[in-house]
Amino acid sequence: MEEIIEFEVLVFKALNQEMAINVEMVEIVIEQTEITPVPRARKIVEGVINLRGKIIPVISLPVLLANEGASIYKKIIITKVEDVEFGLMVDEVVGVLRVNSNELETNLGKMNTYGKKAKGLIKKDSRLIVYLNLEEILKEITGSEVA
Amino acid sequence: MGEYNEYLGVFIDESKEYIQLLNDSLLELEKNASDVEQVNRAFRALHTLKGMAGTMGFEKLAKLCHRMENYLDAVRSGKVEITSDELDYLFAGLDMIDKMLQSIVNSGSDDIAEDINGLVEVFERIAAGEKIKKSIRKEEQERLKEPEFVRQENMSKTVVGEGFTQEVIKDVLEEAAKKNIPAYHIVVSLQEGTQLKSARMYMVFHTLEEIGVEIIHSIPSVEDIENEKFDLNVELIGVGNVSQEKIYEKVMGVSEVKNVTVKPLKIELEKVAPEASEKKGNDEDKSKEQKRVKVTQTVRVDTEKLDTLMNLMGELVIARSRIADILKKYNIKEVDESLAQLSRITLDLQNIVMKVRMVPIEFVFNRFPRMVRDLSRNLGKEINFVMRGEETELDRTFVEVIGDPLVHLIRNAIDHGIETKEERIANGKPPIGTVTLSARHEGNNVVIEVEDDGRGMSREKIIKKAVERGLVTEEKAAALPDEKVFEFVFLPGFSTKEQVSELSGRGVGMDVVKNTVESLNGSVTIESKVGKGTKVSIRLPLTLAIIQALLVKVNNYVYAIPISIIDSTLIISREEIKVVQNEEVIVIRGEVIPLIKLWRVFDMSHEETPNEMNVVVVKSGARKFGLTVDTLIGQEDIVIKSLGKIFSDVKIFSGGATLGDGSIALILDVANIVESI
Repeated sequence: MEEIIEFEVLVFKALNQEMAINVEMVEIVIEQTEITPVPRARKIVEGVINLRGKIIPVISLPVLLANEGASIYKKIIITKVEDVEFGLMVDEVVGVLRVNSNELETNLGKMNTYGKKAKGLIKKDSRLIVYLNLEEILKEITGSEVA
Repeated sequence: MGEYNEYLGVFIDESKEYIQLLNDSLLELEKNASDVEQVNRAFRALHTLKGMAGTMGFEKLAKLCHRMENYLDAVRSGKVEITSDELDYLFAGLDMIDKMLQSIVNSGSDDIAEDINGLVEVFERIAAGEKIKKSIRKEEQERLKEPEFVRQENMSKTVVGEGFTQEVIKDVLEEAAKKNIPAYHIVVSLQEGTQLKSARMYMVFHTLEEIGVEIIHSIPSVEDIENEKFDLNVELIGVGNVSQEKIYEKVMGVSEVKNVTVKPLKIELEKVAPEASEKKGNDEDKSKEQKRVKVTQTVRVDTEKLDTLMNLMGELVIARSRIADILKKYNIKEVDESLAQLSRITLDLQNIVMKVRMVPIEFVFNRFPRMVRDLSRNLGKEINFVMRGEETELDRTFVEVIGDPLVHLIRNAIDHGIETKEERIANGKPPIGTVTLSARHEGNNVVIEVEDDGRGMSREKIIKKAVERGLVTEEKAAALPDEKVFEFVFLPGFSTKEQVSELSGRGVGMDVVKNTVESLNGSVTIESKVGKGTKVSIRLPLTLAIIQALLVKVNNYVYAIPISIIDSTLIISREEIKVVQNEEVIVIRGEVIPLIKLWRVFDMSHEETPNEMNVVVVKSGARKFGLTVDTLIGQEDIVIKSLGKIFSDVKIFSGGATLGDGSIALILDVANIVESI
């Protein structure tokens, strides 16, 4: 018998689909704001924003996940992973969702287009939500694995 | 255990201070061996170190300190002399103490690879002085050793008992009552102006132990007594089968004790409790009082908290100017006054926060007298090392970084600057060379100078070398002012072995010095005259966190250039750009300056060569570069913030700053921009 663990995720829309991240890593969600580009930074880094005096990098999810150019975005989700704060540009925030571990499909086989960057697929009712692996994403953007 | 660790931190910090104190005294002694005050100082430092080491259970450390202390005691009492040989032993002992402390820091144990027994024995022998006195001395040592041990035991008990003092007192008093041993409340007052108060109290403790009085509790604590953290009065509670009179008599027998009162404590069991609790109440009051005093004296603060404070301070300043800007639009008279007050308060607050981050440069300078001593011995040169302005304060971040460059400079001054004695005499100079290390405030800067009266640097030799390396043409070089010529030595690897003595080594590490100083937004200059000496001046801003910067715009984004590296600004037209060896340059007053187009560095789409361009001329190392920008906005104080891990690969910016309007200005790292092209 596998133990069933319940956890909460923040669901948002990006790349025309629903995605989610662990709610514990979310600091705050803010409206779109002026992003200052940082020349010579990696392409996935859109730039920096001023969040109450702190300078926080903002990552473009479309570039990160699909290598697509930045689309229109409405919100920035500020996350904190391993003490590093960064923002994710998303189209829309859907809300918080309670998920059982048996609703998370980790063995995606061919369906997994995002590699390590996704932990799996959340199947809830008729919805399919990509559950992102923020630790892995952080690794990628801090350059331990240069894209 | 947690309490123990807490003590360990304090122990390490304080030990470092005492080691420094000891170091200073020994160096003074080296100059004047008959300076009794310095012997006393060294003795006191060792005594305290020994006590602390004993309390913490570092027996080897305590043992070594003890023997060194014994020797100094013998010196004090005139039994033995102090000569350079003995001083060497003392320095060796100091080094070993330092090593042990290092080992305590690293591994929590005072075990070190070296054997301390050799040195311990040496101190025993020199303490004994001449052979005739040896036996007497030994006896004395034996005598000293034992109470020392007893005292340590006693002390550790007190320390352990700190947390449950009341219970301990009660228990012991009850125990004493059961065995029918009297307990005493003893108040000892020392004479005013007593030197070595802790040593005197130690004698009191010792005397009491000797007549069989066990001290259960003391106010202030034994630790504080050890550190001389008490006024003239000490209260003790002790038990022992001794008469009141005898205690009085014995304690009064200790020199410099002014007054003693001995009161028996009632120890009928029923009465013990209220008495003890009353006592306890007193204790608590007193210790509270003491604590309060301590807090106003000094507080050790995590530097991270200071950084956060500084950061918040910066935000506050920016928020204030934002409010001021907004209110200006509406021109409301009523808020003017309160706004002015807010401005004053923020300014005061800013000053205080800045000051909190400041430490005297002494912390860096401290280690140099010893280094100079060792160097001058090794090289066989006599050096008069002068330090001035040790009290000058600067940002604590600098203190950690500036040490190494100064080591380089002082070493250079002694090794290559100062001539040998013979050479100096032949040149009609005083035989002893002088090296001066000084620090002072100058406006918003701290200036640190290393000056020697040695042979100086030869302009001709540097030019010759620079021409050889193709850095400059001979004609150009002839026209260069001295300070420009000396700037060549800051280039990496400028000095090489084939160079003759007068130059050799001057370039070694000079590029490191320059880089370090520049990374702190400072600058280095050299003045030198052949035969007269060399002066290297380091100029640092008062603080790292807030810098003055010129704000510029490129493609409507704002960037900041630190004022410290800016040479000048000018407007050029397209026609003024010349191409030399495929490089775009401009010529200002005969000087050829490479042009760096910032939009190109930033990979931005921008008109490649506009008709007119603003150019900011910046210095990087000994060279100048012109950075093209769209517009100049103006000068502003900015709070530097790190861009963090995610931008660790972006070398062209050293950080970012939030501006009054909420936007972000990236701060250019010019040295890296120059390298990147």
